Amino acid sequence: MPGTTDEQEELARTIRSVLEREPSPDRPTPQADPSRGYDAKLWSVLCEQVGVAALAVPERFDGVGAGVRELQVAAEELGKDLIPSPLLGSAALAARALLESGDEQACERLLPRLATGEALATLAWAGADGRWDPDEPACTARPDGEHHTLDGTAHYVLDGDLADILVVAAAHAGSVALFEVNPDQDAVTREHTPAMDQERRLATVSLHGARGIRLSGADGATALRRARDTACAVLAAEQAGAAARALETTVEYTKNRVQFGRPIGSFQALKHRMADMHVLVETARSASYAAGEAFDAGSADAEEAVLAATVHCSDALSTVASEMIQLHGGIAITWEHDAHRYFKRAHSSAQLFGQPHEHLERLLRV
Amino acid sequence: MDLEFDEATLAFREQVREWLAANVPERPLASFNTARGFEQHRAWEAKLADAGYAAVAWPAAYGGRDASLLEWLVFEEEYYAAGAPARVNQNGIFMLAPTLFSHGTEEQRARILPEMARSDRVWAQAWSEPEAGSDIAALRSTATRTEGGWLLSGQKTWSSRAAFADSAFGLFRSEPDSERHKGLTYLMFDLDAEGVQVRPIAQLDGEYGFAEIFLDNVFVPDSDVIGEPNDGWRVAMTTANNERGLSLRSPGRFLASAERLVDLWCREGDPADTALGERVADAWIGARAYQLYTFNTVSRLAEGGELGPESSVNKLYWSHLDVALHETALDLLGPSAELTGESAPDAGRWSSGYLFSLAGPIYGGTDQIQRNIVAERLLGLPRESTASKNRGAT
Repeated sequence: MPGTTDEQEELARTIRSVLEREPSPDRPTPQADPSRGYDAKLWSVLCEQVGVAALAVPERFDGVGAGVRELQVAAEELGKDLIPSPLLGSAALAARALLESGDEQACERLLPRLATGEALATLAWAGADGRWDPDEPACTARPDGEHHTLDGTAHYVLDGDLADILVVAAAHAGSVALFEVNPDQDAVTREHTPAMDQERRLATVSLHGARGIRLSGADGATALRRARDTACAVLAAEQAGAAARALETTVEYTKNRVQFGRPIGSFQALKHRMADMHVLVETARSASYAAGEAFDAGSADAEEAVLAATVHCSDALSTVASEMIQLHGGIAITWEHDAHRYFKRAHSSAQLFGQPHEHLERLLRV
Repeated sequence: MDLEFDEATLAFREQVREWLAANVPERPLASFNTARGFEQHRAWEAKLADAGYAAVAWPAAYGGRDASLLEWLVFEEEYYAAGAPARVNQNGIFMLAPTLFSHGTEEQRARILPEMARSDRVWAQAWSEPEAGSDIAALRSTATRTEGGWLLSGQKTWSSRAAFADSAFGLFRSEPDSERHKGLTYLMFDLDAEGVQVRPIAQLDGEYGFAEIFLDNVFVPDSDVIGEPNDGWRVAMTTANNERGLSLRSPGRFLASAERLVDLWCREGDPADTALGERVADAWIGARAYQLYTFNTVSRLAEGGELGPESSVNKLYWSHLDVALHETALDLLGPSAELTGESAPDAGRWSSGYLFSLAGPIYGGTDQIQRNIVAERLLGLPRESTASKNRGAT
């Protein structure tokens, strides 16, 4: 049964208390340059006091040694307030890719810095078509003496222009391998790409004969699959958290907004819609927990559970966020209200790591 | 319903198409929710008016060309198919003007309509108030009698175009202590008049598509009352039907979007993705169905019928169609639909259109209001009891 242990409850409480105590990150403004990253101070507090970046890093690499399920707890709490953070790109996706590469030396060198939060990592993988296909990464690599030379442009790279550690998935000698690429070399250009969701930072990473070190060990495509499953499970929890808060806010508003002499929430037409939203929120939460647990337990149906959670949580947040707008009415069409942030997040998340129909096709094959 | 166009209509279509092909700006104008774009759109409207296309269905004396409703639909189809600029003065042309035709005086029509046609004066609507959204009859802004006119006070909100427009129209409570639909007067006022303060509101795409209007003893002469004092609700219902219904959302707009969606599918769609292909087809069929329904309405009106509560059917239909159409386009584009700025596909048309479509089921009367109108006035279902005494009854 998917659920939450006492330790996980405690983790959630700790994160909530940090978020309550620390000043909220600035919200995006319509006029400002949308090239905002995350709130570095809040992230460092979360790393130092809670160890969020270290959660899924094994103890031998100075991590907490917990699992995907714990990353989900953090993602759900941060997701409620849509706090921009490198949790998904660095602590989930890139950290898992490094771990799954099986390159112990690289892990020893990189993961401890990632775990403390002093360094951000990212994984450059998908092409312009936005398919996170483990067998067809955007970049290519060829041997060059002791090292490798990499070319190509990866798109939708999470925190791609900010990261200190750049892991690149590249086609290499008929298969796929992972490479560590120093992002500060001239042959690497990184550009922030403004998106509708201003609070999830994406970039393109272009390699023009960049030098890289191959991460030795496991098959790259398998590592990418595992990394994607981790990221999808964590994203699903974030979506469940965001959906829960979107519903909560909507319920509160409709209890207080009076039209026709009564709170609009007393109208059955609205009440029933919120009841449906509640069903989605609860099932999304359960589906996301189940995915994290199946992954951590190494169970045979883990991929299936992750795919189900990915599709269901995307659908749930998309529906709940658009209902949030409709049930709020005019106020939700304004910038100053939060509804559009939830809506934009819902849309951007549903496209990240592959489109819903691609996940469904995979699910049918599993 | 007669779907055969006669030769005169076909010739009109050809003439409109040629004029648009020669005159629609090649580069899209800046959004009319920016100061720069607003003036660009004003200039475009003047050009339209010079050619007699600003308000084709109006009498020529006011700047129209006496076109029939059917010709108006044809004009709209061509207008949107040509990708011509959005209509900055649509509040005036499609909401205020029909009200003036029904309830205005000859003096008002002669004074207001020609300058509206040229957009020398651009109009904002001022319906909603903070406590009166869906429940518009709950409005509190007041009109107090004074010598030669009225003094307006109170607050309006969600006033479309008010950030940059010249004038506005709306309802005010003119009978102190009156309740609900009674004691309201329909008035027009200038947004730069003494006592008016406009505070633009950033909408969810960051642009100033609407504003709050604060009124403090703003003088309005008697000549700017539409209809009789205290009869404003009845007068306003004409406007409401026009905003919701036929006028504002002609099928041409959705047909043009549907055609663009089909093009996008042919260019970028994955033929193996049959589920998405079906949604594209559904959206196209939906736009076509809306067109046919509108033709039907026009036929009915041509035979002397009234628009009436049927306009709620239009509003419900197009607002959902518009959302579905854009959702389908965004799913088709995949993650690239997320991008804004230079790297966005089709210059970001689909994602900005999507955000705009979200407001469709809200403005001009929410879905819930429209559904109540359809259920109660078209289907004759009993009204929901509004009193709290019935709460808990099953």
